[in-house]
Amino acid sequence: MFEKALSGGRRYWAWMVSLLVVIGVGAACWYWQLSEGLTITGLSRDVVWGFYIAQFTFLVGVAASAVMVVLPYYLHDYRAFGKITILGELLAIAAVIMCMLFIFVDMGMPARILNIFLHPTPSSMMFWDAVALGGYLLLNIVISRVTLGAERRGDPPPAWITPVIVLSIPWAISIHTVTAFLYAGLAARPFWLTAIMAPRFLASAFASGPALLILLALVVRRVSDFDPGRQAIRALATIVTYAMVANVFFVAVELYTALYSGIPEHVSHFAYLFMGLDGEATLAPWMWASAVLAVVALVLLLNPGSRSSETSLVVACVAVFASLWIDKGLGMVVAGFVPSPLGRVVHYSPTAPELAIGLGIWAAGLLVVTGLFKIALEVRGHLRRP
Amino acid sequence: MVTDRREFLIGGGRVLLIASAAASGALKYVLAGAAEQAPGYVLDDHWWAMTIDIDRCIGCGNCVRACKAENDVPREPFFFRTWVERYHLPEGDVDRPVVDSPDGGFDGFKELYRPGDGSKNFYVPKLCNHCAHSPCVQVCPVGATFDSPDGVVLVDKTYCLGCRYCVQACPYGCRFIDPRTRTVDKCTFCYHRITKGLTTACCEVCPTDARVLGDLKNPSDRIHAFLREHTIHVLKPQMATGAKVYYADLDGSVR
Repeated sequence: MFEKALSGGRRYWAWMVSLLVVIGVGAACWYWQLSEGLTITGLSRDVVWGFYIAQFTFLVGVAASAVMVVLPYYLHDYRAFGKITILGELLAIAAVIMCMLFIFVDMGMPARILNIFLHPTPSSMMFWDAVALGGYLLLNIVISRVTLGAERRGDPPPAWITPVIVLSIPWAISIHTVTAFLYAGLAARPFWLTAIMAPRFLASAFASGPALLILLALVVRRVSDFDPGRQAIRALATIVTYAMVANVFFVAVELYTALYSGIPEHVSHFAYLFMGLDGEATLAPWMWASAVLAVVALVLLLNPGSRSSETSLVVACVAVFASLWIDKGLGMVVAGFVPSPLGRVVHYSPTAPELAIGLGIWAAGLLVVTGLFKIALEVRGHLRRP
Repeated sequence: MVTDRREFLIGGGRVLLIASAAASGALKYVLAGAAEQAPGYVLDDHWWAMTIDIDRCIGCGNCVRACKAENDVPREPFFFRTWVERYHLPEGDVDRPVVDSPDGGFDGFKELYRPGDGSKNFYVPKLCNHCAHSPCVQVCPVGATFDSPDGVVLVDKTYCLGCRYCVQACPYGCRFIDPRTRTVDKCTFCYHRITKGLTTACCEVCPTDARVLGDLKNPSDRIHAFLREHTIHVLKPQMATGAKVYYADLDGSVR
């Protein structure tokens, strides 16, 4: 089946080669990082996790969000998702691969990464996260391969795949829950020590992931005969709306708890995020942009008229994705470190090579998505044009 | 082939026996990290702790310098296994301290506050608390950070991934990544010294005996009398880490 990703028109190859160039720049920077160590990043003694881990956290959400198409389609037999479900599963594969790459480049001693399995330590959430992510990748590869393979032969999917698909549903929830637990169980970091973190992670995932899926499906419709169907897009838009409302509500609940109690350890992190602390306000403009984008998205999504118009839906989806990317892919991780447990306020911003490595991994994800989508569309006969 | 139940059970039992023997043999390879051995030193005979008498600390920075030299701590002025903080509480303010720690107190402290200005000033030496229930050991994904049976939290740098999960799990800010090895580093209570009957480098050079290493399993150690006779406090007691650096007369404003 893979050969289908290796043939294509001029536009296809131009796109793939430009992605490869970005990947190449990232790989070169990573090679530099390998020889110099993480000192070439903006990380420091106090801010020990930054851009890489934040991207990882955001993308686990994108991966988990496949469940938002898998669950209605397989569990509730929601036929409108018939065409788009496979895209959701393939997007999950690409997202998990990006997650793994981001973890890998974040390690000080990447050659020892297999120690996680050679010396398993069940008390560590990082061990469970590795197990959950690896399992989820495997599940989605098996499911999409088997269902697509059966479709190509014109057979119904084999019966044994159904329990595997059902298993993938709680598994998707688990990957993002465990990722939240990576942060949420640490007494040393009051910003993350909140029970709402896992629910909030899931809500933001189920908003940002389907928003991305809508955008991708519309792109695919432009470049091929594929049509996800109006009903599928509408249903996805409804999912994005509910999830975004839930996410904003959860954020408000967090803010209330921190600000009303007034406990300095809890307030100070939010103060750093939105106002800046001791003159250190790198993230404040970003966080306000995230808040404004969230409001714009909610207005467009909650209004039935603008939700069903494709143009404003695209704007809303971009706003949802950007807002949540800032919140989770920039703010959430760094704010846990500032101020430090000793009260120090330090500056963090990613360096150029750090950003180039990150961009390279995003490009790698796009490359995987493009290749996998192409295979799926070929199998379904949507790419008859050269 | 017909297998009766007896044969099956015997065969299965053998397999189970061999598998569990192999598993127990493999366990020591699964569990990473073990304390270095010293001749005549019995791990189970000790339970190390440290006492710090706030009223005795003069902020000279001897301990910081000795620690850096003894343990080959990276030279940059922000890597420390032990450091000293100065607390300043202006008159009438008991819970918003001004804290400074220039180069961790490596060169001591320049006088900033005048005697008799009504403020309260004191030094707080800090280091790894060698917690009995340490969050860093809990979160290490590969077992590179481990509890030694003598009550010291150690790092086996040959397993460490450099993932920095332990750095953020530590409530006391005492862990850092050594840029040379790209693995985590922290105070070891001078493990190479205490297992040979010496005290730690920081305690060795302390001119006022403000910091003293103690062995809680040694009934004649003076740590027992010290803990009994002073008002003892540990840092962040609400986190229940089982910290074993015991401060005498610590102010409530200390983070």
